[in-house]
Amino acid sequence: MTNAVAGLGLAPDAAMVTFPIEMFLPGSDISPVEARKREFYDGLTQWRSAFAGDGGAQSPMITVQGASIEDAFSRANNLMLANRWGDGLPLWPPTRERVDWILRGATQPRGRRIGIFPPRGGVTTVETCAIALAMAGGRPEYLPVLVAAVDAFLDPESGSAQLQAASGSAFPVVIVNGPIGAQIRLNSGFGCLGPDPQRPAGASIGRALRLLQQNVGGALPGIGTMANYGGVRYTNVVFAEDEANLPRGWATHAAERHAYAPGQNSISLAFANGATNIRRRGAKKETPEEDALQGMYRMADFMRVPNMPGLSGYEHGTPGILMIPGVVANTMAGLGWTKASIREFLWEQSRIPTEHLRRAGCPAWIEIDSSKVVRESIALDPWPITASPDNFIVVVAGGGHPTNSYWLQGYSPGVVGRTVDVPASFEGLLVEAERDLGPTATA
Amino acid sequence: MSGDGDSRIITVMITLEFHDPSGAIEVTQRFAPRITTLQGKRVGFVSNDQWQAFRMLPLLKKLFEADFPGIEVLPIDAFPQGNAVIGSEETAAQVKQSGVDAVIIGNAA
Repeated sequence: MTNAVAGLGLAPDAAMVTFPIEMFLPGSDISPVEARKREFYDGLTQWRSAFAGDGGAQSPMITVQGASIEDAFSRANNLMLANRWGDGLPLWPPTRERVDWILRGATQPRGRRIGIFPPRGGVTTVETCAIALAMAGGRPEYLPVLVAAVDAFLDPESGSAQLQAASGSAFPVVIVNGPIGAQIRLNSGFGCLGPDPQRPAGASIGRALRLLQQNVGGALPGIGTMANYGGVRYTNVVFAEDEANLPRGWATHAAERHAYAPGQNSISLAFANGATNIRRRGAKKETPEEDALQGMYRMADFMRVPNMPGLSGYEHGTPGILMIPGVVANTMAGLGWTKASIREFLWEQSRIPTEHLRRAGCPAWIEIDSSKVVRESIALDPWPITASPDNFIVVVAGGGHPTNSYWLQGYSPGVVGRTVDVPASFEGLLVEAERDLGPTATA
Repeated sequence: MSGDGDSRIITVMITLEFHDPSGAIEVTQRFAPRITTLQGKRVGFVSNDQWQAFRMLPLLKKLFEADFPGIEVLPIDAFPQGNAVIGSEETAAQVKQSGVDAVIIGNAA
């Protein structure tokens, strides 16, 4: 709550009376309200904000000393954890030299204000992004994607102001289109949602975004974010669409969702709060047509659950992101499937019978939703999990193997796109990356 | 050691200077001034109708009314309820027009 009021431009110490969570549950003992009634009275009459500063100045520099490089590095990491700036993994101290190096990837002045990070309201600049990227082990050529992702994150359409603090454990998903994906070593193939020393960009960019969410946005577990589980938050999800294996005639995600031209560097940001593998391949003597159709049913069946995160993006957002490997996409394209027909199929086949909604108590959530479209959807039986087939995101990504697809369950009021600008020195940064990291992987 | 009495050990400290990563906070508006007393005042509730607010806020209303003679505490449904509406400009305008001296907002969890 203190974060929330700070995010509104108020001092971050509002008059509040707080109780353990048990009192907010059905059937609870609410007698503590009476026992502490004086705090309510004082909050309206006696309370004064203790926040003195306006905080508009530059972030200060911090100094640690150690008897050796190892000792100084250790002390810096300890200090960052003590200040609640870390994630438990080693951090690269964002020294002036390292941050200046990262800023070689900037296209705008370091002090250019991108926005305020919800819910705490920390002022976010290009330099703030560079500091986070330095801490996350990033490189200059990653900065354009991070800055674009942060800009999208801070767009009110993304819903980040609510999702940063909400209990539903949302994490941002950043889909990258355009040549920059391969250029900066983002993964689009095998293991694209996990660690890969050959393609380390996604981990650094996603971790930097998480550090910004926590350090600047105040989304500290149990304090600034009430996320029950917080899964996938070490690195969030940052990957590139596998455009090299996109079937002929299939448009990129960026073109379909944001109308960006082919070859345009861009990012697309949505929120998810679930991630699961779906085994889609057949096991016996299926024909190609049967194999494709059975896999589609398996995916739709997985989506047909009375689980309510899709409500937040019912009208304009997304119920989720379906990732299909290029080899599967090309086989399906050969059978006549398109991204649009896949979305139509999923929309029809993931509808939930009203009786299933009712027995799970879902109508109450639908009835209190702020969206008229959501409230009126209760009349539909079977109930579509999203207002339009177009809301499904279908992306070609994942290793060249036909067995699995992947579903990132959406929890996303909007899907926000941004083009990515690179500095004039970008080619030089890529040459330096090749010098530092070796040639880009080909497999 | 040479034994000449000049054998000092010199320790060179490594210094790391780095940026505070937390970003600045800007205060652009102040909280409403507190009222001097609750006696004779008009108090309202803005409720999101969640987290047992339907039980706690009426209890608070009773407590205020018992402890402060002349206080007027509006019913919990005097203003629109629910997360979808309590943050709107329309609700804020209704609260202002009601002439309340103070407002309690609840519940969050």
